[in-house]
Amino acid sequence: MNNNEFYIGWMPAAPKGYAKQVTIAIVVVAVLVLALASLVSMQQKKFSNSVFEYGQLTEVTGIYQQFPVPSIKVYTQQNNGSSFITMPLVGYGKHGAEGIIRSLEEERAVSLDQKQITLKGTLIYYDGKSLLQIDKHDKPLLSIAATLSSSHQPKTKELGTVDLIGEVLDPKCYFGVMKPGRGKPHRDCAIRCIAGGISPVFYVRQQNAGPLYYLLLDEKGNKLNDFVKNYVADPVRLTARAVQVDDWIVLYVDTKKGLQRTGGLSWFKENDELIYCKPE
Amino acid sequence: MSTAYSAVGWNRQKKIYDGWIAAFCISYLALFISLTLLFNSEATFETILIRSTSTLAVLLLHIILSIGPLTRLNKKFMPLLYNRRHLGVTMFSFSAVHGIFGIIQFHSLSNTNPLLSLFLSNTNYGSIPAFPFQALGFFALIIFFLMAITSHDFWLHNLSPIVWKTLHMFVYAAYILVVMHVMLGVIQYEKNPVFVLILFTGSASLIILHLLAGLKERKIDKMKFKLQEDGFVYVCEADEIEDSRAKIFCIDQERIAVYRHEQKLYAIHNVCKHQGGPLGEGKIVDGCITCPWHGYQYLPHNGQSPPPFKERVSTYDVRVNHNKVWLNPIAFAEGTEREGALL
Repeated sequence: MNNNEFYIGWMPAAPKGYAKQVTIAIVVVAVLVLALASLVSMQQKKFSNSVFEYGQLTEVTGIYQQFPVPSIKVYTQQNNGSSFITMPLVGYGKHGAEGIIRSLEEERAVSLDQKQITLKGTLIYYDGKSLLQIDKHDKPLLSIAATLSSSHQPKTKELGTVDLIGEVLDPKCYFGVMKPGRGKPHRDCAIRCIAGGISPVFYVRQQNAGPLYYLLLDEKGNKLNDFVKNYVADPVRLTARAVQVDDWIVLYVDTKKGLQRTGGLSWFKENDELIYCKPE
Repeated sequence: MSTAYSAVGWNRQKKIYDGWIAAFCISYLALFISLTLLFNSEATFETILIRSTSTLAVLLLHIILSIGPLTRLNKKFMPLLYNRRHLGVTMFSFSAVHGIFGIIQFHSLSNTNPLLSLFLSNTNYGSIPAFPFQALGFFALIIFFLMAITSHDFWLHNLSPIVWKTLHMFVYAAYILVVMHVMLGVIQYEKNPVFVLILFTGSASLIILHLLAGLKERKIDKMKFKLQEDGFVYVCEADEIEDSRAKIFCIDQERIAVYRHEQKLYAIHNVCKHQGGPLGEGKIVDGCITCPWHGYQYLPHNGQSPPPFKERVSTYDVRVNHNKVWLNPIAFAEGTEREGALL
């Protein structure tokens, strides 16, 4: 090192030897910046093509069902109008829809259960499932029709007792609002959503096909949000009585056995008793 | 230099430095965002914002923590050290965007206050895989915040250099919190070994750099001085010290700089009053010992900063006998005039 060279920050320029070294540092940092930005951005997991139609309100007409979760059963044009999709309802932010439904019922002094209604809300959809977000500020209830005949009651089918490994998730985020909407980074948000009343969904991986989704209730058919919220985002094992209710399967979880954390490696084992939602 | 405080003491070098910081940050964000949109087009604005700012902040943190040991190993990195505060404040700004937006994204619009939710949503504090990693990031952000708002000489003087330096040494605690925040958070979801490898490489590089710099310092501290005479210790031959430069000797756990200036030797305490810079690695400029870190200056014969500055360091007696330099390690009060040893 040239002994005459000495760097002082408050002088107008750095000596040549220092400037040369800093130039090398700038080149190294530039390479680091380009390499890391490329590597990190391109190595992220692929985000799902789930959709949250933020800012876009859609009118949906169907049969409101209180059980197993607040939802609207919407008939489609397929199969001469006999096909339908059951869309669980969720509230604004990290809240369930029950509070809004209750206030709408009080406002109209009528129970909405099993009535044909038209709701205005924001669609959330992914992987064959749809949800509808309703917000009281949007005045979501547009109309109520007469009570329907019993032919529209949900069709149920007992599927037996199952033992499944999966993940408890909040369906609002998973099916569209957030990406990623499951796993460890999203855990706190999912806990808040489930604590806020959004009905939890059990997500089960399959080895060679897409995941399966189940609604969760306790063995008596009550909500079990408080029971599951501490297990969100972890691989857990549960035992439940499975019942198909229209196009969803409801797991009546054995809360005495509880949920057991299985550790990450268990994700790679095949569930040996998967159950599927089969049309009648 | 000035005795008055201004928000930023701009000069040409600082402007160039800040220009490069801006260019790097903009390039990183532009590349990250465009590549994510190109190859992962379903990404949402919120996730891109959270991830681009966080990864940039982690990169900046590694650069910031590298600068200290790099300058210990090679003085020519000194320009990076002089302006490091600007890099620190920039890093904090991106961390804050990441942290604040993360709290809004994951905790707002719920039935609980977002800040309470940060600590009370996930309460698995006893589990490593389920640990609430966001709390770790929050505490790191608090440390970065305290460092950023005190990143000015006004606070350095008012808090005292010891308190200020201690506070800023917490950056290492913050670094560990950040590493744990990443390892117990997003890495558990992404699971791609590339991310672990990147973080491991960054941490290993920092550890190696700090160890190498520490070993270099240790050589000075472990020097043995056996010859003693009337309280003076033989330290070196006079011609080992170059003109306008110094050699540093560690005696009784105190580092002393012996400077050669105008055919005389002077000894002062090695630690600059500003930020603890090594005065013995400086140079005599315009008759003043000039600290290599931020250019603070002291007169060699009394350890006082020239007026109007008021910093003072301890002085020591030094004498030369047949080209042998003898140093008395008992310090005189800060700013005490000593006449130096004629060569």
